[in-house]
Amino acid sequence: MKEFKPLPDKPAPADVVGVIPWLKDNLFPTPLNSLVTLALLAFFVTVIPPLFDWLFFSANWSGTTQDACTNKDGACWVFVIAWSKQFFYGSYPIEEVWRIHTCLIALVAIIIASFKLHKDLRNKVAIPLFLLLPFFSIVILDGSLIGLAYVSTDYWGGFTLNVMLAAASIIVAFPLSFLWALGRRSDMPFIRSVSVILIEFFRGVPVLALFFMGSVMLPLFFPEGTNVDKLLRVWIVLTLFMSGYMAEVFRGGFQAVPSGQYEAADSLGLGFWQKTLLIVLPQVIKISMPNILATFVMLFKNTTFLLIIGIFEMLSTTQTALANSNWLGGHSTEGYLFVAVVFWICCFSMSMISSSIERKLDTSHRN
Amino acid sequence: MSINHEQSIENNDDIIIIKDLNKWYGDFHVLKDINLRVKKGERIVVCGPSGSGKSTMTRCINRLEEFQRGSLTVNGVEMIEDVKNIEAIRREVGMVFQHFNLFPHLTILENLTLGPIWVQKKPKKEAEAIAMKYLERVKIPDQALKFPGQLSGGQQQRVAIARSLCMNPEIMLFDEPTSALDPEMIKEVLDVMVELADEGMTMLCVTHEMGFAKKVADRVIFMDAGEIVEQNIPEEIFNNPQTDRLQLFLSQILDH
Repeated sequence: MKEFKPLPDKPAPADVVGVIPWLKDNLFPTPLNSLVTLALLAFFVTVIPPLFDWLFFSANWSGTTQDACTNKDGACWVFVIAWSKQFFYGSYPIEEVWRIHTCLIALVAIIIASFKLHKDLRNKVAIPLFLLLPFFSIVILDGSLIGLAYVSTDYWGGFTLNVMLAAASIIVAFPLSFLWALGRRSDMPFIRSVSVILIEFFRGVPVLALFFMGSVMLPLFFPEGTNVDKLLRVWIVLTLFMSGYMAEVFRGGFQAVPSGQYEAADSLGLGFWQKTLLIVLPQVIKISMPNILATFVMLFKNTTFLLIIGIFEMLSTTQTALANSNWLGGHSTEGYLFVAVVFWICCFSMSMISSSIERKLDTSHRN
Repeated sequence: MSINHEQSIENNDDIIIIKDLNKWYGDFHVLKDINLRVKKGERIVVCGPSGSGKSTMTRCINRLEEFQRGSLTVNGVEMIEDVKNIEAIRREVGMVFQHFNLFPHLTILENLTLGPIWVQKKPKKEAEAIAMKYLERVKIPDQALKFPGQLSGGQQQRVAIARSLCMNPEIMLFDEPTSALDPEMIKEVLDVMVELADEGMTMLCVTHEMGFAKKVADRVIFMDAGEIVEQNIPEEIFNNPQTDRLQLFLSQILDH
């Protein structure tokens, strides 16, 4: 019998790999595309150097007052530096700022732990810690319960407030929205209709309207004399708003889990909650990861809307700084650019974290 | 129509007893007066054209499908509308699916230990020992720490069989276990199933593998249009069909 021998692999021809073929294929494939490439090149050459000059080379970096900004052709970063404490911590007493740092370090530590811990420990340790974090942070920041100096929520503010409000809302919204999504798929008409009403209400009403309801209308429903903290109301509103969106994200994930997975779980005799938590939830999270992140980012950016109802988050602190009588030199470009860059860095980091989670969860083609 | 039916009606030791089972999808009558009794250790092959209700009937046995009329008793437990009752029956019945339905987010070992740990409340060490035992039986112990997506179709289906066996079921249901496999992988799965049959497992297998039916089946059931048309030992079914419908079916599947 004749023996079958597969043909040996040959190297790819020289005209399909390397820099020149790449340039030819991607930048100059046709005359029109070459023209566009050159036009863009010309645009970058004219725009980038002056931009960098304004941002860095001619910018004013040192000083403490607006008079230090002598070079009018450059950005006045002195403004941002002088106000940086307020931008980050609002009017939180500066000697107590370590408490904010403690909360942020705890948040980062738990995120890292949920990556590094062994799979078996991860669910048992990281999830309860995540759920405890908002309450831990409130106790620390407030201080009165554990014998530290009391800091009223009126003084909480700045970018760290944006971060902590977003984190606290996401942490509570995660399980809540999963339950809502589960309720929406339920066979029980009562549970289903309650879930649908909640989801559609919080998704259908603009977030600003929800904030106003939370700050103006909600107190009308509380018994007279009770004073529910403004920040607490905002937290609740953000959580419910987030839950409405996330529930729909989860619903999409539920629909993408093949029915065979439910049948296999059923045929093993798993109960409803075992099936939901052990088989369905992990797959739903994996499928929904990109959309979960998109919702996180949206919520995080929406925390700047809180300036409308007088919460001193980063954007409203910036506006306060811009309106300060000592800084009336027109620094809004620097101020808003700084806010934009800080938010962008955070959102981009979240993207990186999310894609690394996606890779970690992707068990389909790992060889 | 059913030949063994009259003799076995008195025998209540049968492990599966289906009486006058009827099922509708909306107005569509998918299962019509199904009567079937399976003895412990019996190996049954169910065949028939697609849409004949053979999968639906099989899936009724572990309540993946509901039925509207008739009764079904598995291992002495009658199927009623009750979650505990259904879960009790499912613990006795293992099922292997056409598309394997392994859990993609769990390793092979975790796929196998999930049932023993969470349903049978076995300690993890014991569950893992059982899992490795069955992985060796289906000849892929070296794949234990991989994920299902890294295995070939034939290997995945053998894992699926092992996953069911870990629950130590009384009955194994197979719903077209080789229909989604490449030709070269069908044999490795059938070999495992033949071995299982030789060990005396009660098996009910929906398949188009007539060679397998001839080799291991005690009884072949032919279904069409929601009814059991014929049932008999394999030799009789293949060599001496009683109805024109079965004759046509056999000529179509054996003629190429």
